[in-house]
Amino acid sequence: MNWRMIFFGLLIVAQVAVPLRMIQQRETVLREGELFRFKTEPIDPADPFQGRYVWLQIEDDFVPISKAAANAIDYKATGYALLNVDEQGFAKFTDWSSERPTLTTNYLKTKSRGQAVNWEQLPDGQRTPVHEGLGIDIPFTRFYMDEAKAPRAERLAREATRNEDCWVEVRIFNGKAVIEDVIAEGQSLRDLASIEE
Amino acid sequence: MRKIPEKCRQWLLQELPILENKGILSAESRQRLDDYYSNQVESRVHWAAILCAGLGALLIGGGIILLFAHNWEDLSRTARAVLSFCPLAIAVVLSALAIRRGGTGLCESAGIFHSLAVGACIALIGQTYHLPSNTPGFLLVWALLVLPLIFLLPSTGAYLFYITLICSWSGAAQDEYGQALGFWLLLIPAVIHVVRLIRREAHEGLVSLWGLILMLPIALGIVLERTVPGLWIISYACFYSLSGLLGLRLYPTESGWRNPLQTVGLAGITGLTYIFTWQNMWHDIGWSNTRHDGNYQEWGIWFDSAITLGLALAWALTAVKTLQRNSLPSLILCSFPLLACAAFFFASTSEGEIINTLLFNAYMLALGLALLAQGCRSTQLRQVNYGMAVLGLLLITRFFDSDFGFLARGLVFILMGSCFLATNLIIARKKHQQQEAQS
Repeated sequence: MNWRMIFFGLLIVAQVAVPLRMIQQRETVLREGELFRFKTEPIDPADPFQGRYVWLQIEDDFVPISKAAANAIDYKATGYALLNVDEQGFAKFTDWSSERPTLTTNYLKTKSRGQAVNWEQLPDGQRTPVHEGLGIDIPFTRFYMDEAKAPRAERLAREATRNEDCWVEVRIFNGKAVIEDVIAEGQSLRDLASIEE
Repeated sequence: MRKIPEKCRQWLLQELPILENKGILSAESRQRLDDYYSNQVESRVHWAAILCAGLGALLIGGGIILLFAHNWEDLSRTARAVLSFCPLAIAVVLSALAIRRGGTGLCESAGIFHSLAVGACIALIGQTYHLPSNTPGFLLVWALLVLPLIFLLPSTGAYLFYITLICSWSGAAQDEYGQALGFWLLLIPAVIHVVRLIRREAHEGLVSLWGLILMLPIALGIVLERTVPGLWIISYACFYSLSGLLGLRLYPTESGWRNPLQTVGLAGITGLTYIFTWQNMWHDIGWSNTRHDGNYQEWGIWFDSAITLGLALAWALTAVKTLQRNSLPSLILCSFPLLACAAFFFASTSEGEIINTLLFNAYMLALGLALLAQGCRSTQLRQVNYGMAVLGLLLITRFFDSDFGFLARGLVFILMGSCFLATNLIIARKKHQQQEAQS
């Protein structure tokens, strides 16, 4: 066996190891992670390599911390957003830590996106920004679907969103998140989109 | 040593016995000629076959990606994960075969298909697990996993894939992380590959060299931080000039397609000269206008200056070795960065916008006239047309800038068109006469 075949063998090991590591990490999260629900609004774009997906616009994509604390955190700084569940059973981010939490596995490794504001309408018709917290990157915004079903899924999910009846189920474990399903009108978006009109 | 094509050697081998029978060659001489030319055959590459093989691999690979992109929801997660590895497995077998058997066509198709399969595998696992978009990460992993194929197969297709990926990565990284310094590290293997090919045989690396020299200006524009407005003027002037001068040194007898460095260098300088003829170009440039807002890195001042200085030093060293007073391309290539530097410093220290604009208008006019004159003297139609195109572009642009009436514009256009046609006719006739005189 010559040196080229030896190096080629090493290359193949690397080429297989990278996707296998990706699979192993996600399978661990799906197996051991806790299930959280996030309220969402889906939109339907396409990716030339990965096909059609429903883009999930997570409603609460911020950590509720003070304006001063949010401004003190650099834009795109890596950190950990801690999670909890509200009385309706939906996930909420509760706090931000620049150190990896050790007491819980329910946190998301993410990046800061600067101050998050909500534009509120005043009685005189003007709009004013109200501080919400620290905006964060949400690492589960793509739900890949069959190319034929994705546009229909988006429409159905948008209707469900109006009734506040659409959420994404995500497994989270040690900072990593993997989408399990998107639920609209009480059933999986895949099943809902499969129903013939 | 002069090498001959295979078909010429075949012809010679048929002729040798005839020459020996007629007593023109002795048996010993015939044997010596036979021995000599058996080792002097050009390793000819069948471009059409390679292109077909490469295109086939590209289409099949692209087709597989599209098939998977349909997203077969009915398959289980495990089945889809296993399926994601199938194109990679086929590519591995194809590449192993190419390494064992060799052959340019097989190596190229294996290289292209394997490069696509690696990207497809990662993308499809991302699809299966609904991973978010991380474009720079995806492109970087893809590029690094493709890189060894360039040297192992070896494959120009894989190399072209690699340089496209690192150029795209620089754009994505600049957007996501605010800097793409890693590009220079990723570029090293590509440069090593091209240098190796050129050292082995100058013309073997032409396609790779074209790829590199077309990718570099794009990447340079992305990687520069632009903290100091206008510093790119010197960087690009030095880059294109350096490229052209290296072309003159490496391929002194070649031009056009067979000399990518010179062609891109001269075309780049012409393009830059044209851009510099606009007055708006020279607004707010130099260190006094350094950008401090969040979109620009503070260290960009040092980084851009270092890149510019590096290019300027490389250009100066090459220019000293290459400058020939009787060579027009050499004079153009050596003078342009000096002029660009002077204009940059002038515009950054004073209100030199109008003077710089006039200077580059004059330079472009001189460039066009010089190319035209040189082309007429040496009866090179390509150079004549290039000179005419440069002149035409400048005159038409300036003409539209000014407030001339339709009548004046119409007459000038007709005059210019007639000059073009007449010059071409004269040169073509002169060339024809020369050829007849030679035959």
